Amino acid sequence: MSFVGIELNRPMEVRTGKALDIKSVSVEFDGFKALTDVTVGVKRNTIHFFIGPNGAGKTTLLDIICAKTKPTSGTVHFYPAEGYEILLTGMKEYEIVNAGVGRKFQVPSVFTEISVYENMVLSLSGNKRIFASIFRKTSAEENDLIADVLDKVGLTEHANKKAGSLSHGQKQWLEIGMQLAARPKIIMLDEPAAGMGKPETFKTGELLQRIKDICTVIVVEHDMEFVKQVADNVTVLHEGKVLIEGNIDDVLADETVQKVYLGRGGD
Amino acid sequence: MDTLLKPALHIEKKSRRGYHITFAVIAAMLALSPFIIEGTSLVQFLGKCMCYAIVGIALDLIWGYTGMLSLGHGLWFCLGGYAMAMFLKLDGTNGKITDFMQTGGLTELPWFWKPFGSFPLTLILVILIPALFAGIVGYFVFRSRIKGVYFSIITQALTWAVYSLFMANSKFTGGNNGITDIASIFGKTKGSANRTNLLIIFFITLAVLVLVYLLATFLTGRKFGKLLIAIRDGENRTYFSGYSVNSYKNFIYAMSAVLAAIAGALFVNFNGSITPTQMTISYSITMVIWVAVGGRGTIIGAVIGAFFINLCEYNFSSGILVEAWQFIIGAIFCLTILLFKGGIVGIVRDNIPELIRRIKNRKNKTAKEAA
Repeated sequence: MSFVGIELNRPMEVRTGKALDIKSVSVEFDGFKALTDVTVGVKRNTIHFFIGPNGAGKTTLLDIICAKTKPTSGTVHFYPAEGYEILLTGMKEYEIVNAGVGRKFQVPSVFTEISVYENMVLSLSGNKRIFASIFRKTSAEENDLIADVLDKVGLTEHANKKAGSLSHGQKQWLEIGMQLAARPKIIMLDEPAAGMGKPETFKTGELLQRIKDICTVIVVEHDMEFVKQVADNVTVLHEGKVLIEGNIDDVLADETVQKVYLGRGGD
Repeated sequence: MDTLLKPALHIEKKSRRGYHITFAVIAAMLALSPFIIEGTSLVQFLGKCMCYAIVGIALDLIWGYTGMLSLGHGLWFCLGGYAMAMFLKLDGTNGKITDFMQTGGLTELPWFWKPFGSFPLTLILVILIPALFAGIVGYFVFRSRIKGVYFSIITQALTWAVYSLFMANSKFTGGNNGITDIASIFGKTKGSANRTNLLIIFFITLAVLVLVYLLATFLTGRKFGKLLIAIRDGENRTYFSGYSVNSYKNFIYAMSAVLAAIAGALFVNFNGSITPTQMTISYSITMVIWVAVGGRGTIIGAVIGAFFINLCEYNFSSGILVEAWQFIIGAIFCLTILLFKGGIVGIVRDNIPELIRRIKNRKNKTAKEAA
């Protein structure tokens, strides 16, 4: 599927409207309700955070969007560009990726036995069929894109190292870079700052602010410092339900939020 | 960007070049061997080893690279072997029904034997049957996301099932005895009078081995090969990079089955028979041992392992070590898995550069001291 192409360095012109629409999604695992009637809209070119205590259903929600988990009811719609609509619910995970929704997992999962550069090559968007992977060479434009992304995530000098030899933080950045190489319209990050020190976390925040110009960013995170640093919008989940949604200051000021989440050592 | 790319290629090229040189040396030694070795039995044996090396490469593609351990590759080897044996048998009987069919009470050639009267058709079927069979099995197995030990068990069960089928239908397959008493494509190979025939099939097999090696190294050198490694190390992640992992697995599984079948088809030319023994699980596991001992995920390792283990067996299977050989090979396998995951190739690759560096250092030192 191809839609209006978005160049990495050219900000999208349309900054209004939703990129993702989650409509009354519920998930049940053997009687346990992981999510109940969750409705959230994610605005285009913003950094949208899902926060909440453990077990609130944040990761499950990402699983629903990228088809790792099937919802019991409800739908997820994706708007790659103004006027285009795709129903993600029911699609296969690789179809969703190819439609432009990338996902970074909680545990850094890069391909450890191949180089950073090769990791990027595998993540490029385009023809993913067997024949192409055997006979097609990486084009000059694609190499430029990779160089550009590696520069953005600060891994240029490590391009030829085995990905397994990178530090934890570098692996996280590589994985974000791999998402960017696919030129996604939406990028979903599950705890991108987990296990990072303060300076690394801050760098990650800066990176996210740089990439929101080119795609919509959805983040699941615990670290409130990090949320304050970069969030445009925040949805607080609690026990599988949406507690409150809004900009960061409103959310932090809310009493219920303080009670269920922040009071419990979130900060 | 070029500067970014070149060092990576350089490092990879270095060990790859080492592999290619090693393979070239092995191939050259094989090419010379018939002119050095007297008699035919060792030449015949080396011919079989080349077939084993092809199976080794086939297994390495799916196990070493893609991480799918097949414990039933004897099945594919035998499908190719039986197809070729059926042709050679009919060639020997001039298309009439065979001895075991007569014993089984058949008066006419069964319909599925008839295509094997034609050589071109046999060649096509050697490839087509395993491709279709493995393709269909793979389609269901990989679609259901069956992997790891469950995949291994399924490949075993499948091999066992076909083995039983071949054993039970002796009037069609020769049962326990298999298809015996057959010549090669170019006539009899036994005895010094038929040496030319043996040499022709020997060099054809060598050519196929070289082609299979080139194909495997070509595939693994491309983005395709990196994807196989990616599937091995992070299957889920590969799905989320937008690849239809099951198609890739199915493709490489079917290709591996076809390569094993080609090896089997060549094998019967040297062996003079094919029996269900070659389809047993223990035979299939022996194939895995070749790859493990030689070194997984390197292609050349599979070739080295196949020759190493089989040449050891050839030398030890007479004399006092006969009884002990099975234990020795078991011990080698366990040691490899526990201590030397990279196998023979791994040991050489990880230690030789260090050794060279040390020797150079020592030389420099003595040079300095002398000065």
